[in-house]
Amino acid sequence: MITMEFDEMKKIWDAQNNQPLYVIDEKALHNRVQSKMSTVLRLTNISEWSLIMTYLVAGGILIGLNPFKRGANIFLYLEAIWMFAVVVYFVVSHIRRIKASRQFDRSIHGDLNHTISLLSYQVRLSQIIRWNLLPMGAIMIFSGWEAGKLFRVSAVILVSYTLAFYVTSKGIRANKRRKRELQVLKEKLETGN
Amino acid sequence: MTEKERLDILEEWLKLHKGLIFKVVRAYTVEDHDDLFQEIIIQVWHSIPAFRQEASVTTWLYRIALNTAIKWTKKEKKYAGAEILDNVQHLLQENRIQVDERLTWLYGEIYKLDEIDRSVTLLLLEGFSYKEMSAMLGISESNVGVKINRIKKQLIAKSKNYDNHGI
Repeated sequence: MITMEFDEMKKIWDAQNNQPLYVIDEKALHNRVQSKMSTVLRLTNISEWSLIMTYLVAGGILIGLNPFKRGANIFLYLEAIWMFAVVVYFVVSHIRRIKASRQFDRSIHGDLNHTISLLSYQVRLSQIIRWNLLPMGAIMIFSGWEAGKLFRVSAVILVSYTLAFYVTSKGIRANKRRKRELQVLKEKLETGN
Repeated sequence: MTEKERLDILEEWLKLHKGLIFKVVRAYTVEDHDDLFQEIIIQVWHSIPAFRQEASVTTWLYRIALNTAIKWTKKEKKYAGAEILDNVQHLLQENRIQVDERLTWLYGEIYKLDEIDRSVTLLLLEGFSYKEMSAMLGISESNVGVKINRIKKQLIAKSKNYDNHGI
């Protein structure tokens, strides 16, 4: 029986350097990218419509109940108008996103670029939600001041902002991570792996 | 460092050294090649800003790839059976053009070793010094030496049972 010396194993090992060990299964890759894209697309749609409905209902409640409420003031109307303006912005963004999505073809690269752009959109959406809380909070603080409930309103705003900041930060981080992963995958494809 | 610069570096590293990552992937997993490959690439991506050119790119990439593979193997053991492998479509397929049975045998034997011994064997076959291996794996040089002696003896002994290596 013959044994293989370690030097021989090293030669066998070194010989593989001239040949690729793996090839990428393009179809499986495309399926995976498409599956990621449909998940991100579904989540984006849910986020958009939830935000639109939330702001619409909240603004509607403020407008509808304010005339019958004791301590109602102009700032509550301002808050409602602001919310409706944000709804308009979200609707416009939604339409522009749908239009922009038509520029991507259905190749791996097209789907990959589409998913990356959706994730960038989600990150932007989360950042807008976060920063939008500042003017909304400011208006509510003025309203509380007008109604003589400055301390209570400020405390509620502070807690809400902290919570929203925490939740949106998590979302932003997760989406940025997913986007980076896809950018790495895109880079892998472009380098011909 | 801008994102563009980072991507340029990744692109260059992958172009020059992707074979190194494939070797680690093949030594550490039999079925989930693409998952481990992707995980290593992501860790390499994260590591780019920390690369200070004190070590060579190859050493750096081996360090990242092996540490990722060791952690990944431990995690996979923990969650073994969580996913039905038949349902997973694999991205990486072995290149069928390259059929050296002796290499397949060698990979098989490396895979049977524990995580640290696998790393030592890969680095030994790649020609790294004891000092470099010690720095990469966080074990003493003497420990590396002991492991290498044992692994060499073990591999040579096992080659006796392998009749088709064509020598």
